[in-house]
Amino acid sequence: MDPTAIMSQLITGLSIASILLLVALGLAIIYGSTGVINLAHGEFVMLGAYSAWALQTFFSLNLFQSLFFIFVLTALLGWIIERVVIRHLYARPLDTILATWGIGVISIQAIRLSAGGELRYVEMPSQLASSVSFLGVDVSAFRIFILIFSAALFILTWYLMFKTSFGVKLRAITQNPEVASSFGINSDRIFGLTFAYGAGLAGLAGALISPLKSVYPEMGTPYVIDAFFVVVLGGVESLMGTVFSAIILGELTSFISFQSNDTIAKALVLLAIVILIRFRPQGLFSSKVRG
Amino acid sequence: MSAVIEKESELTINTGAKRFGNTTSQVITYALVCAAIFLVPSIIDDAYLLNKFSTYLIMGMLAIALSLSWGYAGILNLGQALSFGLGSYCMAMTLKLRTVPVHTGSEGLPDFMVWNNVETLPLIWQPFHSFTFAVLAGIFIPVLFSMLLGWFMFKGRVTGVYVAIITLAVLVVVNLLIIDQQRITGGFNGITDLATLEVFGFEFDAYGSSAYYLIAIFLTICLFLALAITKSKTGKIFQAIRDHEDRVRYFGYDVANYQVFAIGASAAIAGLAGMLYTIVMEFASPTFLGVKISLSIVIWCAVGGRHSLLGSMLGAIIIVGMQGSLSESETFLETWTLVMGFVFVIVVLFMPKGLAGAVESLILKIKSRNQE
Amino acid sequence: MTSNTEQLELKDVVVSFNGFHALNGLDFSVNEGELRCLIGPNGAGKTTALDIICGKTKATSGVVKFETTDLTNLQEHQIAREGIGRKFQIPSVFQDMTVKENLEVAYCKNNKVLSNLFKFKLGKEEEGLEKLAELVNLQDHLDVIAGHLSHGQTQWLEIALLVAQNPKLILMDEPTAGMTRQETHKTAELFLRLKEKHTLVVVEHDMGFVKEIGDVISVMHQGKMLAEGTASEIEQNKEVQEAYLGSAGITNA
Repeated sequence: MDPTAIMSQLITGLSIASILLLVALGLAIIYGSTGVINLAHGEFVMLGAYSAWALQTFFSLNLFQSLFFIFVLTALLGWIIERVVIRHLYARPLDTILATWGIGVISIQAIRLSAGGELRYVEMPSQLASSVSFLGVDVSAFRIFILIFSAALFILTWYLMFKTSFGVKLRAITQNPEVASSFGINSDRIFGLTFAYGAGLAGLAGALISPLKSVYPEMGTPYVIDAFFVVVLGGVESLMGTVFSAIILGELTSFISFQSNDTIAKALVLLAIVILIRFRPQGLFSSKVRG
Repeated sequence: MSAVIEKESELTINTGAKRFGNTTSQVITYALVCAAIFLVPSIIDDAYLLNKFSTYLIMGMLAIALSLSWGYAGILNLGQALSFGLGSYCMAMTLKLRTVPVHTGSEGLPDFMVWNNVETLPLIWQPFHSFTFAVLAGIFIPVLFSMLLGWFMFKGRVTGVYVAIITLAVLVVVNLLIIDQQRITGGFNGITDLATLEVFGFEFDAYGSSAYYLIAIFLTICLFLALAITKSKTGKIFQAIRDHEDRVRYFGYDVANYQVFAIGASAAIAGLAGMLYTIVMEFASPTFLGVKISLSIVIWCAVGGRHSLLGSMLGAIIIVGMQGSLSESETFLETWTLVMGFVFVIVVLFMPKGLAGAVESLILKIKSRNQE
Repeated sequence: MTSNTEQLELKDVVVSFNGFHALNGLDFSVNEGELRCLIGPNGAGKTTALDIICGKTKATSGVVKFETTDLTNLQEHQIAREGIGRKFQIPSVFQDMTVKENLEVAYCKNNKVLSNLFKFKLGKEEEGLEKLAELVNLQDHLDVIAGHLSHGQTQWLEIALLVAQNPKLILMDEPTAGMTRQETHKTAELFLRLKEKHTLVVVEHDMGFVKEIGDVISVMHQGKMLAEGTASEIEQNKEVQEAYLGSAGITNA
């Protein structure tokens, strides 16, 4: 491989990583603090993408104009689902998998019945449709935008978790629910908001990737798998770990698919994750295992 | 809520607190259901409908398999479709090699290989000239694969949620590989245009009652074998592991061995179901080992009652049966899946023991009322 | 039947979790046939000491020996097969199974999957299990599902499970927690009967109960052994009094 090719793969990897981070961040927050593996996370991504499509088609808003609405919409939906279903299941982790899976099925079918099963397309904002030359490699401006946007979202999330009273409360509940409640922290409210925030992030992720990929009801499934693996690799307690593992997985996928093909790349990454869960369930960047 | 339950239990300690039904009444109920299954062909003479019923029974077998590993041993295997798919491919391979006009080349090559410019029959296909080998492979490949995976997980004390995730991931990996290795597996299309199964000169036509009876026989055998396992001491240890895995270790049991056996026994049933499915569907496809079927099996067991083999089986047969009768219309089918999603979430939330559990408590209530 | 043969020995055992020393050079030994009580203020490491013996936690350093076997590197089920049984603080009977089935599972003479697969009838064991149920006063509840038992009955069932396992050494973590005075007294009697055949190590808070059953009492503090002796010796020990200062005091601890 010559240097330009390597550079090109590196940048592709980084671009994949930024999308992974975008998708995984919401899942990481929810899983890390409430212990719920939200298998419907991919469907939130899908709903975000469909919202972008709907806002574009019926209200002729471009992607930038819709982002705020999409965040609010998916966050609200996440909050409702947490209040109606998830909150009954915090003591039954296995059942959360099943219930969220069911919610995923419901979302997919609801979209199928309302928006139809055919592929939908979302237009890229015209300002970012060009490509930029970066270190001798042509990179799409939109992909660079995603990279910056996901970095910004990450910093925002980090700030939220570590510098605000909401974050302090959330971490207190995660570490010791009983003590937290004796200090008058309302874990119900906090968990509801956390779920909403995580769902909102997924919605944003879906909206942002919608111009790059085709939009269809089942599009979320691959993302939930990828996102889950980013979270497991990074360690559930570590936000920084999520970034590192997104980069590692992005680069791995990029280079393996360059050497062989996408399918093999996918299969190998999955296998690596299985082995990781078996031998280091706490992830690479954390010392704590989620019970 | 628990206080209420405790109070109730004190009052009804001689009825409500005892196990529901004894072994004899259970065996009789199971036998009656099986007898009813055998009577179906004498009522229905529509070949197309009978073929559909055959597939429902096969789904019932899958539910039995998952009830054994999930309902009894606590292993939520989200990759149950893997064993099913492997079984179906084994049967498809041997039936493909028996298909007469499709063979070309010196040894006779399956058509899709010719299209993919394969020149000699791949080594992995060779032994499938033997039907006996194929049948053994259809059971033992899934069993060995599952036991190996189980050994890998359970010796490392992987539990709960992580078991679900690993089994799901492995299912996806195998599915990807089968689609990718088109030259050997037929890729997306799977293996189609198969010969009709013929054993000892007896033909099992997919649309005839012979195939239906074949499946009904195996279903009955599997149901009763699974019942025997759950009644044995091993079965009781399964349930103990499900409730308190760690506690069982401190009695001196090597828990991993029991879990490996449970996942293996469940794979045997699923593999057998896969082989039968190929016979009635007349093809094998990567969708057989898809995430969708795996999810469906979990739904059937949850709704039917995973702690009951019969409940799970009936859950599968009823749900797939209702789905089958709706499948005439695409929109109906989509709505049906939507409704199933809601039912599933509600069952997970409020009826952890499923329909079987609901029926049990209903009968107990009637009994205790009669005693008064 | 207390003999002077040493059955269990912990030597200089250290357990640390992320730098926190739960056990800090613990020495502890018990003779065959003894009924030893283990007390100490909260956080002294009593439960961790039991965890080390039964293999739930692995020692960072030090030696754990049972009779002639080194337990340090054995897994939980292997340690159980050596003849050590453990009762946990939170009752962990199998809620969905009947009392009889619970006992049946606990009776682990044969631990092989395949031979247990062909075992449907209890046969000779039946009598033994019924006797066991009698020992803990559950003979009329054999077919009751364990989840329906009262709190005290659940604790007794758990004790019966231990006896069914027939270990040489029984480890008990707060067996009387949540019991009424009457139930506690009955439990004390039960322990004195168990002592005839098993060695017992009991972690307990209730001093009344400890005085009723224990010959020798060991006091732990900050992950170490602080003192050993009879109940009156312990109560007069200056160091022990100091250790309990600030917590509720030894009698109510």
